Amino acid sequence: MSDIPSAEPNHNALNIQGLCKYFFGLRALDGVSFSLSRGEILGLIGPNGSGKTTLINVVTGLLPATSGQVFVDGTEITNKKPYQIAYAGLARTFQTIRLFRELTVLENVEVAAVSMGLSRKAARQRAIEILEEIGISRWSEMLASVLPYGLERRVEIARALATQPKFLFLDEPAAGLNEDESEELLQVLSSIPARKNLGMLIVDHDMRLIMRLCNRLHVLNFGKTIGMGTPEEVRKIPAVLQAYLGKTVAGV
Amino acid sequence: MNLAARLKPFDTPLTLVGAVLFLALLTGLLGIPLLTRIVTVMFVSLILVLGLQLYMGNSGILSFAHIGFMGIGAYTSVLFSMTPAAKELTNSNLYPFLIPLHLPFLPSLLIAALVAAIIAAVLSYPLMRLSDAAAVITTFAVLVIIHVVLVHWDRVTNGPRTLFGVDSYTTLWTSVISCVITIFAVYLFKESRIGLRLRATRDDAYAAASIGINIVLMRWLAFIASAFVAGVGGALWAHFITSFSPYSFYLTETFVILAMLVIGGPSSVSGAVIGTLIVTAAREVLRAIENYINILQIFPGGFFGFTEVIMAIVLVVILIYRPTGIMGGRELRWPGRRRLSPPVEQEPVRNRNV
Repeated sequence: MSDIPSAEPNHNALNIQGLCKYFFGLRALDGVSFSLSRGEILGLIGPNGSGKTTLINVVTGLLPATSGQVFVDGTEITNKKPYQIAYAGLARTFQTIRLFRELTVLENVEVAAVSMGLSRKAARQRAIEILEEIGISRWSEMLASVLPYGLERRVEIARALATQPKFLFLDEPAAGLNEDESEELLQVLSSIPARKNLGMLIVDHDMRLIMRLCNRLHVLNFGKTIGMGTPEEVRKIPAVLQAYLGKTVAGV
Repeated sequence: MNLAARLKPFDTPLTLVGAVLFLALLTGLLGIPLLTRIVTVMFVSLILVLGLQLYMGNSGILSFAHIGFMGIGAYTSVLFSMTPAAKELTNSNLYPFLIPLHLPFLPSLLIAALVAAIIAAVLSYPLMRLSDAAAVITTFAVLVIIHVVLVHWDRVTNGPRTLFGVDSYTTLWTSVISCVITIFAVYLFKESRIGLRLRATRDDAYAAASIGINIVLMRWLAFIASAFVAGVGGALWAHFITSFSPYSFYLTETFVILAMLVIGGPSSVSGAVIGTLIVTAAREVLRAIENYINILQIFPGGFFGFTEVIMAIVLVVILIYRPTGIMGGRELRWPGRRRLSPPVEQEPVRNRNV
């Protein structure tokens, strides 16, 4: 399968091995490797332009990888079509919200369950349960286009969950939320991985949220991994401090 | 009470079917030949508009090819429905193996629709991955291809010459029954698993793919179903008009059907029905005015094209002021179905200011 002698892919995890994405000369992702287990919350952080969203787009099939491999539970999904990757068990939300604006909130979530093979009746039932869990069931009959901003994010999360993913990628879920909303989001998100037995990867700039939510962090800069570990460990890595705070402040 | 609750999920098609049946009954009771003719043609147009809505409304992609499949349906149906004697009389060039084919009207119509669907399936698959302008232009190319084939394949179509001698099977009642079936079929498609997923791709293709929707497949299935309905429309039309040529299935007809759908509102079945009713009524009124002006000879040398020009202006005005059509994507529903404003008990949430 690969010419790189690599460790046996973990059969209960998302494995990313040596992922590269070059836009002509620009190395947006340059040999990124990590794995994400079920039940775990991994924070993917880094300065603007460090390749976080590119990584999500490559792994979910929106952009072709230049090289490297992605495995879901031991099955390779590298460069498969986005809908096939969704079938393989990977769901995501978008940095710029992408809802089905002419469908109701309920239908937005229902269609995700339908696309996984459920009948409309069963899909509706699953959607109702998920909207209840995420705390937006009272909005379910509204068109998505008239929803307030803070709730749009939650509908996206509910929609992703309706595919019953093994792994969930959240691209800046807290962007544009005020502190109260961010706190509510934290409550919603923190219990998901354990309850749904899924691995969650979160990209965000809200460090308060990231530090409180994540078991583990992975730090990117210019497409390269510059640090990984628990939030406490990552805070002490010189390269990370330098990337976030600059050379002099970091004292490197 | 119980019955009303049970029928509620079908309130939209039942309302539309009620309106169509009412019109048909009224026309039948009045028994005015000209009115019967206008209403019958309207019902056939309605089938074509509904077929176009099935693809365009749910996928969000404009298709110019629709009338081409109507033409395929028309020509295929008459190949089966005409008697061998009539075929030899009207088209001496016909392939010999086509001459003995002879079936009753209903099987001819169904075969015609199937043939249109099969040709659509083959022609359209590579086009379904295209979006926006590229998708629209390629459907236009499909219309041109079908038209050129109809014009030049004279061993099947009698070439550019008018084909005559078709039996008149389509009546007010056959057309209205077909309309009722089509309304239900198109509405059920919209609410089906395929229809729901296709509407999701219409609103956001990336998000649809991210939840596992195969966009190309959904569009393709809808395009095939849409061509099937166009084939039915073509077969009904052929057996009403009874003589036609390939030029009957080209730009003029395309424009009329598109105008009906766009004016009514392409993303709902109700829009297709209302657009067809309004445009038909408007066209007849304008045509009457045009004729009256010509009779009075207000303009020396005649007064032509008034109807078409006014219809085009109306289309432009609608597109400017109400780009989503009269219905704006809504369906006609019985009261109490859906809540469209935020629930009041919710605490105020920050609005989106971007």
